[in-house]
Amino acid sequence: MPDRPQPETSNIPKDPVINDSLSGLFLISAISLMGTLVWAMYDEFYGTRPWKTYQKQFQTQYSEYLANSIREQTKIESTLRDSLKFQEIDKMLNGAQEKASPLVAKIDSEVNLVNRQLAAVIKEFQVARGEVTALVYELEVTKNKKKKALLAKEVADAKKGPFEVSLPTSNKNIHEARYSYDEIEEKFNSLQALRAKLLTDRSEVLKEATIFRRNRSSYLQENLAGLSVEQLNGLQEGMRTFEPEIRQIHVRDVDLVDRCYSCHVGTDRTLVPPQVVLTEQDMDGKAVFASHPSLELLQIHDTDLFGCTPCHNGNGRATSSIEKGHGRYRHWLWPLFPKENIEAGCQQCHSNDIVLKHAKVLNRGKELFQQKGCVGCHRFDGFDRESEALISVNQLIRSVELEKQKNIREAEKSEREADEAVEDSEFERLNVRSINLRVTNSNLDHQLEQLELESRFLMREQKKLGPNLKEVRVKIKPEWIPAWLKDTHGFRPTTKMPAFRMDEKQIQAISAFIWQSGIKGKLPSHPKGALSRGKELFETRGCLGCHAVGEENSPDSSSFAANLSRVGEKDNYDYLVRWIHNPRERTRPYCPYEKRDLGPEDYSRHGLPFVFDLENSKCPNDGHELQVQQMTVMPNLRLTVQDARDIATYLITLQSDSASYPPAPYLDNPDLADEGKALVRHFGCAGCHEISSFEEESRIGTELTKEGSKPVERLDFALFTHEAEHDGWYNHKGFFERKLSDPAFFDKGKERAPLEKLKMPKPNLGPEDVTALTTFLLGSVDSQLPEQYFFHPSDRRQDIQEGWWIIKKYNCVGCHQVQIGQRSRLMDLPRYQDPDWKEQLPPSLIGEGARVNPDWLIKFLDNPAMDERKINQNGVRHYLQARMPTFNFSPGEIRKLVRFFSALSAQPQPYIPPKPEPLTIREQRMARQLFTHPAAPCLKCHATGDKSHDKNATAPNFLLAGERLKPGWTERWMLDPAGTSPGTAMPSDLFRKEGDRWVFAGPTPPSFKGYTKDHAQLLVRYMFQFTPAELRRLTGR
Amino acid sequence: MKSAKLQFLTLFTMVFFLIGCSQEAEIAEEDTSLEAEPATVIDPATTASIAGKVSFKGSAPRMRRIAMGAVPECEGLHKGKVVVSEQVVLSEDGTLSNVFVYIKKGLEGMTFETPSNAGHLNQKGCIYTPHVLGVQAGQEIQIHTSDPTTHNIHPMPEKNREWNTSMAPGAKPLKRKFSRPEVMIPIKCNVHPWMRAYVGVVNHPFFAVTGVDGSFELTGIPPGDYVVSAWHEKFGTSEQSVTVGAKEIKAADFTFQG
Repeated sequence: MPDRPQPETSNIPKDPVINDSLSGLFLISAISLMGTLVWAMYDEFYGTRPWKTYQKQFQTQYSEYLANSIREQTKIESTLRDSLKFQEIDKMLNGAQEKASPLVAKIDSEVNLVNRQLAAVIKEFQVARGEVTALVYELEVTKNKKKKALLAKEVADAKKGPFEVSLPTSNKNIHEARYSYDEIEEKFNSLQALRAKLLTDRSEVLKEATIFRRNRSSYLQENLAGLSVEQLNGLQEGMRTFEPEIRQIHVRDVDLVDRCYSCHVGTDRTLVPPQVVLTEQDMDGKAVFASHPSLELLQIHDTDLFGCTPCHNGNGRATSSIEKGHGRYRHWLWPLFPKENIEAGCQQCHSNDIVLKHAKVLNRGKELFQQKGCVGCHRFDGFDRESEALISVNQLIRSVELEKQKNIREAEKSEREADEAVEDSEFERLNVRSINLRVTNSNLDHQLEQLELESRFLMREQKKLGPNLKEVRVKIKPEWIPAWLKDTHGFRPTTKMPAFRMDEKQIQAISAFIWQSGIKGKLPSHPKGALSRGKELFETRGCLGCHAVGEENSPDSSSFAANLSRVGEKDNYDYLVRWIHNPRERTRPYCPYEKRDLGPEDYSRHGLPFVFDLENSKCPNDGHELQVQQMTVMPNLRLTVQDARDIATYLITLQSDSASYPPAPYLDNPDLADEGKALVRHFGCAGCHEISSFEEESRIGTELTKEGSKPVERLDFALFTHEAEHDGWYNHKGFFERKLSDPAFFDKGKERAPLEKLKMPKPNLGPEDVTALTTFLLGSVDSQLPEQYFFHPSDRRQDIQEGWWIIKKYNCVGCHQVQIGQRSRLMDLPRYQDPDWKEQLPPSLIGEGARVNPDWLIKFLDNPAMDERKINQNGVRHYLQARMPTFNFSPGEIRKLVRFFSALSAQPQPYIPPKPEPLTIREQRMARQLFTHPAAPCLKCHATGDKSHDKNATAPNFLLAGERLKPGWTERWMLDPAGTSPGTAMPSDLFRKEGDRWVFAGPTPPSFKGYTKDHAQLLVRYMFQFTPAELRRLTGR
Repeated sequence: MKSAKLQFLTLFTMVFFLIGCSQEAEIAEEDTSLEAEPATVIDPATTASIAGKVSFKGSAPRMRRIAMGAVPECEGLHKGKVVVSEQVVLSEDGTLSNVFVYIKKGLEGMTFETPSNAGHLNQKGCIYTPHVLGVQAGQEIQIHTSDPTTHNIHPMPEKNREWNTSMAPGAKPLKRKFSRPEVMIPIKCNVHPWMRAYVGVVNHPFFAVTGVDGSFELTGIPPGDYVVSAWHEKFGTSEQSVTVGAKEIKAADFTFQG
């Protein structure tokens, strides 16, 4: 082996392959790769999948919960099984089964035989039928006559058979039978019929036992709350084989994927059925596993259709962390609604509702938006809709009028052309055209009539939140105005009026303008009334349904209308008398066409007296509809002038001891007026008040209908952007809350001229109010959901939806209960806690739609006195001190209210009253005798029209029943008054059940002997055919 | 496979049943304890009494006459005798009737057996007798009528369930109870608006209603510190603290001012 030349170690560069080792590097790489792999694996299984841990925890907790439930339920079930009742049913069941068993056994053996015979026949019959059917088909489709004849013969041959069947017989032998096709078919049918008959017989024999078995299981079910042990065991078994996996709702229609169940496992109803309610405590303090808190809500909003995020917001697809899933990170626009604002989620689909059953906070937010006058500056879809409707109706009127004019021109042209036509056919065509155009116009006239009515009624429906400032000169003590503007919330802590940021000079200018722009007039002067009577009237006529007296310091407790504690410091007595007597009375009517208030001179020019009211509402100058009423929701209580004086005399004494107002001579300085006018425009005062020359002023604030989805960058955080980002409130909630609590907040640090500062005044809100309004605004978004998600019902739910706006507008709930669980303001006043005063509460309106005839209700709502002349009374309940006021509802509002009540009670519209079955002479006598019998106290409490009797009456006159009530309700009412209206003075148990009819519980007159019909129904029929003559006969007057 | 599962399930259920059964005795005991707490044991040798008189100082309000004229069947029952309201019934000595006296504080944590006898309220001559009635929570109240007219009994409680039941002439006594303590529950008849009674419901037996002599006695009280309260329909309530030792008889007089 020759020597290899030795490499020169010194000169030749070392071969890196041989000499350099990268193993260290590789090792490090390998380790780090390995590490990365482990890390990736860890991340894959645990890091980015926190839901796995959640689900495992859930599995443990839920299994434990189920085990406990099973233990408890087993105990309850076994106690139930041991109970006498169960044993009794069980015994009867066993008895019935034993009784039936010999017959059942016999039938069963017969069925068994028939089954075996059928099996034998079927085998042969199916083959035969196949063969015959095939041949017959061929015969049918063959056209060749010769072939047809041949085939017919074949069919006949095939039918001859014979078909051999080994029929089992009852004595276990086999009977070999031979059948033709017709015979075997016959045999098959008869066997089937026999089997059906046997099975019917069997169930007939077992009928009794089946009923007992059903009774037994329904007894268990009725007495066992929640799931049975068997069902619970099923769930537990499910938990044992439970594997963590992504759990999600996928709504294909809208491409919605919500994986919230992956962590909130307790809300997944495939694992936790609705009968099982898991609380935080049940799940070892882990709220994440609790069931959804409102099953009732889930029933209306099925999660399979709605998912989770459409209501709650958050990022439904994200599963990697709580922050991601809840969407609480920078790049997700719709973070989960915070708990206190959770009802914001209702708003996007329920923006048409002013009252939602399950959303108290949101309801409050909407109420505040209206009540605190936000709507005066900020447009919001659905609020103050009357003004907008009025504009669009007036536009429609104009366009219809234009169309009419166009039609007339066209018609005249066609007539001219027709007259000149050469051909008869041409004449005919043009003539018909002109006739049709004129008929079209007559149809347009019908439409126009309705539109004009609507316009007129909308004028009546339009309201302003604040008082009419045109009336200041007749209403207010002048020096009070600047004092009020300076410290609005100091004077009246619960006022709706927000506090504006104005300096002394601005206040003087505004006061001067308001004072000088007021209508100069003189009111009739009234003598003073009786103070203590006035106080009593104020407290009992129903004023306190809306107003309060006595300072409540928190704005949260503010009443619907003004707190009158210091009203005596500001108002003139004569004005108060007029206002209390008829709050809708104006000093001058306003003509929207001429844009000015009319005076007597406008009327006398046309030889008319200066009379304007709802009946005389046309402008004498141009015939346009006038604003003849004060734009207030305060109704007319139909008080006598004396009542009004007494109440005003009381109210004028309501003053604080320390009240003193410096004179304000500048109010009459004409130089201030112009500046004042500019400021009134600047601050948007006309949003809530009627002010001369500002009648057409539009809103000065931003529209808020979609404010919740405005990009956060477009909310003006001013100098606070960085701080907000840093402190975590750079979002809608943070902005809304600060702005609502202190609108000047975002001006801080800004160098601005006084009039360049943010204009928004400080609303009078408590912390809960801020939360409620924030909730409302957060939910007011430009929703991307498809149409079917929105709550725009077209059935009776729409009537309920629309009715609530009227109920809220006029505060019906101040005096009445409208909804189960809701309390009126009056109900909680100390006076009405007294047993005698409780009977003085206005009636509950729960079930009103089922109680009264809607046609009657229309009349009642229009004039609650039910009398054109005697107006100082209640039309139905004369005995109530509180008076149902006249609201001057428009027909549209009445319609909505009547529909609302009908819909709430599921009553069809229109109502067609059933014809009452006439009373026989005997029945008439019986009912009459019962009514006057000492055992039947009807006429003790029900009014009869006799003054001395009615002094103590506590229920309506029967004369009203026929027109006012519905007979079905009346009967149910007599049978169960306390169930219908808890706390009613009408006693229960007046009737008792005898067989399937109700009979009077007390002793009855002798004429009732032998009467076999229902007594309650007899009385209802009597009441519905009650006449004044009958009443006279009963009372002997 | 399926049947194996089923077998397992059956076995499992059975095991659970067995466990359930074995624990039954113990649990049943718990149940009874939940139903009615045992009455607090009071040593009869140590019990004390509180007794006193309720009187009135000042000018007595004149009671208005009850005009039953509109209801002849009530008027007739009084045979021409003038009936006056029982709102304030004062003796010549100034002692006050119809005052409900009871221990208001000091018995917390003690429970007392519900008496098996019933309290009685009569409707006679369209007047409730007694005018003021005391019962224990859960104790039966029997309401009787001997009038030839239909009454309705309408208690208007704040804390108990309200009811309003009609009672025709000759009706069998009505048996009702109030399950929660409440001082006082007004009772009225809507048909005869002057009819008024008051029921005081407490959860112990230490209560009394004063008669003509204005006296009351609360007996069998365990020694301790108490607040005794006297309630009158027109004059409101008056309270005083009373400490009684074993076998002691303490006096506690109440005076209402007019």
